[in-house]
Amino acid sequence: MDLVKRFLSPANLLFLLLAATLLFLTPSRHGAGGNQLLWFAIAVECFYLLCLLVIRDRIRAQTAGDLTAIMYSILIAWELATTRFNLLDPMLYPMPNQIMTLMASDAKELAKGLVSSLRLLLAGYFAALATAIPLALIIGWRKRLHSAVSPITRILGPIPPIVYIPYAIAIFPTFRMSSMFIIFIGAFWPIFINTLNGVFTVDRRIIDSARALNVGESSMLFRVILPASLPSIIAGANIGLVLSFILLTAAEMIGATSGLGWYVKYFSDFADYRRVIVGIIFIGLVVTVIIFCLDQLEKRLLRWR
Amino acid sequence: MGKVQHLNKLVLQNVSFTYGGGHETVPVLNGMELSVRTGEFVSIVGPSGCGKSTLLLLLAGLTRPTAGTILMDGREVTGPGVERGIVFQHYSLFPWMTARANIAFGLKQVRPGDGSRQLRALADHYLELVGLAGLGDKFPSQLSGGMQQRVAIARAFAMAPDILLMDEPFSAVDTKNRVTLQELLLRLWDEGDARKTVVFITHDIDEAMLLADRVVVMSARNGSVLKEFPIPFERPRLRGAIMRGDRYARLRNSVVDLFHEDEELLLSDGVPEKKGQ
Repeated sequence: MDLVKRFLSPANLLFLLLAATLLFLTPSRHGAGGNQLLWFAIAVECFYLLCLLVIRDRIRAQTAGDLTAIMYSILIAWELATTRFNLLDPMLYPMPNQIMTLMASDAKELAKGLVSSLRLLLAGYFAALATAIPLALIIGWRKRLHSAVSPITRILGPIPPIVYIPYAIAIFPTFRMSSMFIIFIGAFWPIFINTLNGVFTVDRRIIDSARALNVGESSMLFRVILPASLPSIIAGANIGLVLSFILLTAAEMIGATSGLGWYVKYFSDFADYRRVIVGIIFIGLVVTVIIFCLDQLEKRLLRWR
Repeated sequence: MGKVQHLNKLVLQNVSFTYGGGHETVPVLNGMELSVRTGEFVSIVGPSGCGKSTLLLLLAGLTRPTAGTILMDGREVTGPGVERGIVFQHYSLFPWMTARANIAFGLKQVRPGDGSRQLRALADHYLELVGLAGLGDKFPSQLSGGMQQRVAIARAFAMAPDILLMDEPFSAVDTKNRVTLQELLLRLWDEGDARKTVVFITHDIDEAMLLADRVVVMSARNGSVLKEFPIPFERPRLRGAIMRGDRYARLRNSVVDLFHEDEELLLSDGVPEKKGQ
């Protein structure tokens, strides 16, 4: 009974509606063919049904259903406005089938772009992690340094890193170096400022406990202050990553010859908006995967909370 | 000097501590004098605001007195040291380390030569000693308040200090567990070759009297010792029998009276003004 109720969700009804649209409504746009969207919808539906069977918690099952329903609604609206009724400009608003076909046929190109982008991103981001965290630990721990440095961070921190792009391109010999620098700057300040804050607000009693154990300077910094400020550090690292991804794609759109930002910009210059949309969706997927991995890492690192 | 001085583990000479600087200074301790013998268990009680927690920070070397000297084994205390183990009411343990790692981390400071396997084994031994065998992998957040204090006590004893400084270690623990913890503390203190010197801060008069050889009552009015009471009960102490006795009741009443007297005087003074130098 309860299970039947579960399967009568909006998501399942919308799936039937989408399938009916695809199967019974005659396309009115030229070049509409193939069943890519149908297969995609079936794959999503199978995954959703599996979730329904596996997820015990009623609220979580409901959320999964609602998310799926929203996705189906978007697909139905998109399909109706393009393939079925041809309400929108075919040049600017491609059909779902076309996007899906391109996604598959351009997969190699996209993967190459991803590798190129990730290499830039990781180089700049890890350089920021590796410098901002130790620096902030030392500066935050030394009262005098902290007092001197925090006004400086208040001035430099809020400058939007995007304004450095033209200057960085001018001063660095290669585009790769200038974009790494931009990504570095973008990630550095949020990580640095958050770590500094974290160190400064470590509970006095924790520091007293450590001092009472007579710990040495490096143990104090790396085994006490560092883990104690880890929640703030991770918050900063999250903001830094999102910012550096934005800067990465922005920089690539300005001067790169490869990468995901370049892919979108390059094809928009040829008015190939199908590939622009493919690029945007792909970037969205990549960001989602990265954020998910980071969430897992955070849960693992902060499991003591 | 000489013999008496030698027997004293801790000596406070005219110790004062003042908060803040410039025009607005708040006196906390004022010309405090106290001696603690080697192996003695001293409880310090007093109304809140009498500076008893400050006193513990001074003994620990985490804070320096504004005036006067604190001597340990005849030498002035200038900072924290591993010969003084400390248990606080909160945050004695590091929340990101497991119970075992907390103890091992403390041990590492006193036995830098030992390998991590040895330290972990020793940590497990002490966990067993405080009745937490098998819970070494738990984080403090996964343990009850009483269990957390057991781990803190295990770490303090594992580091084998001469002196144990405890700042209301059982105040946040429920009554039933508090009694168990008090008994555990006395058992560990009694075991081994030489008893440790213990300075135990509490606001619980019964706790002070059951644990200590001597109860020192501090005053909230003048930030120093009001009176000291030797506690004559023999050890090992049987909680129930002692608390039912007349001697206990009389002693307890005189401590309580002293408390009230101090508080009334504090109220009639209006402001908590402390005696000048």
